[in-house]
Amino acid sequence: MSRKKRQAVQGILYILPSFILLAAFSIIPIFMTVYYSFTDYNMMRAPQLVGLSNYQRVFHDSYMAAAFKNTLVYTAVTVPIQTVASLAIAAFFAAKLQKKGGEFLRSVMFIPVIASAITAATIWRIIFATDGGILNTFLGLFGASKVNWLGDSDVALISICIVAIWKNIGYFMVIYYAGIMAIPKDLYEAATIDGASTMQEFFRITLPLLKPITYLVVTLGIIWSFQVFDLSYQMTGGGPGKSTVTLVMGIYNSAFKQYKMGYASAIAILLLVLILVINLVENLFFKEKEAA
Amino acid sequence: MREKTEVLHKKRKWTPVSVIGLILIILFSIICVAPFVYMILMSFTQSQTAMIRLDQINFGDFSNYSYVFHNNGFFRSLINSIIVTGCSCFFNCLIASMAAYGFEKKNFPGKEKLYLVYLATMMIPGQVTMIPVFIIMRKLGLLNTYFALIVLILNAFGVVLIRQFMKGVPDDLLEAAQVDGCPEFQIYLRVVLPLIKPVLVSLVIFTFVTSWNDFMWPLVSTSKSSMYTLTVSLSLLKTQYATNYGLLMAGATVSFLIPFILYVFLQKQFVEGIALSGIKG
Repeated sequence: MSRKKRQAVQGILYILPSFILLAAFSIIPIFMTVYYSFTDYNMMRAPQLVGLSNYQRVFHDSYMAAAFKNTLVYTAVTVPIQTVASLAIAAFFAAKLQKKGGEFLRSVMFIPVIASAITAATIWRIIFATDGGILNTFLGLFGASKVNWLGDSDVALISICIVAIWKNIGYFMVIYYAGIMAIPKDLYEAATIDGASTMQEFFRITLPLLKPITYLVVTLGIIWSFQVFDLSYQMTGGGPGKSTVTLVMGIYNSAFKQYKMGYASAIAILLLVLILVINLVENLFFKEKEAA
Repeated sequence: MREKTEVLHKKRKWTPVSVIGLILIILFSIICVAPFVYMILMSFTQSQTAMIRLDQINFGDFSNYSYVFHNNGFFRSLINSIIVTGCSCFFNCLIASMAAYGFEKKNFPGKEKLYLVYLATMMIPGQVTMIPVFIIMRKLGLLNTYFALIVLILNAFGVVLIRQFMKGVPDDLLEAAQVDGCPEFQIYLRVVLPLIKPVLVSLVIFTFVTSWNDFMWPLVSTSKSSMYTLTVSLSLLKTQYATNYGLLMAGATVSFLIPFILYVFLQKQFVEGIALSGIKG
């Protein structure tokens, strides 16, 4: 066997195990999801082709309408707040607290990141308790009246957003901090000599140079938001009413509670399309601003 | 020059605004850690209310822990989580590093096209493929098995991550080993693997956190309590004992303990390993 041929065989053999897994659990399933989305399938009888009717039903389903709205609200609340807050905290650390206590505080802020969403939700559900919960007791010291954090359909989604932001800030702060530390120091020295204020330096140097990182933080934030499930499942179970159901909860309930595999597949495909479109739009947005 | 140091010195001064900033940051750090302190304190009480009373805390009283371990299957779930996470880390490193080696150091027609397919699969959220995977596993009788729990954690991310790193492994070194008559698989095992250790550590930690904290797939793929992982058991505990706060917090503490201990000892690697998932987006 020639050297070249032998190398090719070796390469394929090395890749083979990963390819088999990827094909079996990622590549083939994505086509199956597309196929199922055009069928009526409950795992008892063979799938029946039903054309686009699953997709039509998604758009007339009040549960999915609520799920879509909630997911959008969740994204619109969490992404801007966690992005701005994590950037502000990272910038402060970089400017004032690189060493000493800063290192310790940064590692403390990372603790919520390593906890599972289920663990975080279990703790926060109790903190949010209306009667005797820590949060209401604390706010009561300032004369605030009790809030039914998880039982009031106007507040429950916001409560979940609060936990998500709490859990995500440490993660994005670490990414931003690494980004800021990678900016050459002489840029700031030159700006300082030219008499730039701290604020000017931030908006003229730090922010523009962090653009690729902001892109990453916003993209990840949006993708995570569209996949939110655990927090809502454990804190409210989607309630009260439909006030905290999410897109993925829609997939979960249709597929694994009601065994409507076809319908659930249609929701899954719409979720995928949504994520791809957001990626594309955001890509264009960031590229365009770069060109300008 | 003196002017420069003077200006720089001025910047380092603490202005009222930066003092307020510092206070806010310390406050936020407290908010980050307080829920976990609350969790641990509560787990040592028999409290039936959410408010913690200091006189109720008894650190010698492990009855909540022994209750969740024996009556709620947490011991079994802990073992399951350790097995699943351990195997996930091991196989992910093995399979991904082999593939990365194949992609980076070997040549065959269509290689880069295949790599693009790998990259494309990273864009697909797990929930989108979960339905057919569930159906396949069900048909093959693989639900409620460790195999099902482990295999979904393995994905293209590890391959992409390691390949990036493997660009730094010099080809000359591999060729020299070959000339010395080292068998091919030994080159991978004895030369390549030791050289990519840092990235393997990152991948282990990333896989550890992903697998340990995974919830939706274990929830869907296990129906026997003997196969539950900790996240699934904890979610059931909430359903069964919604207001037994001490018990719930004992369950939460058990599920958080191992990641937390590892984090305390491997802080730097943890932050790097988890921040890596940024690439995954």
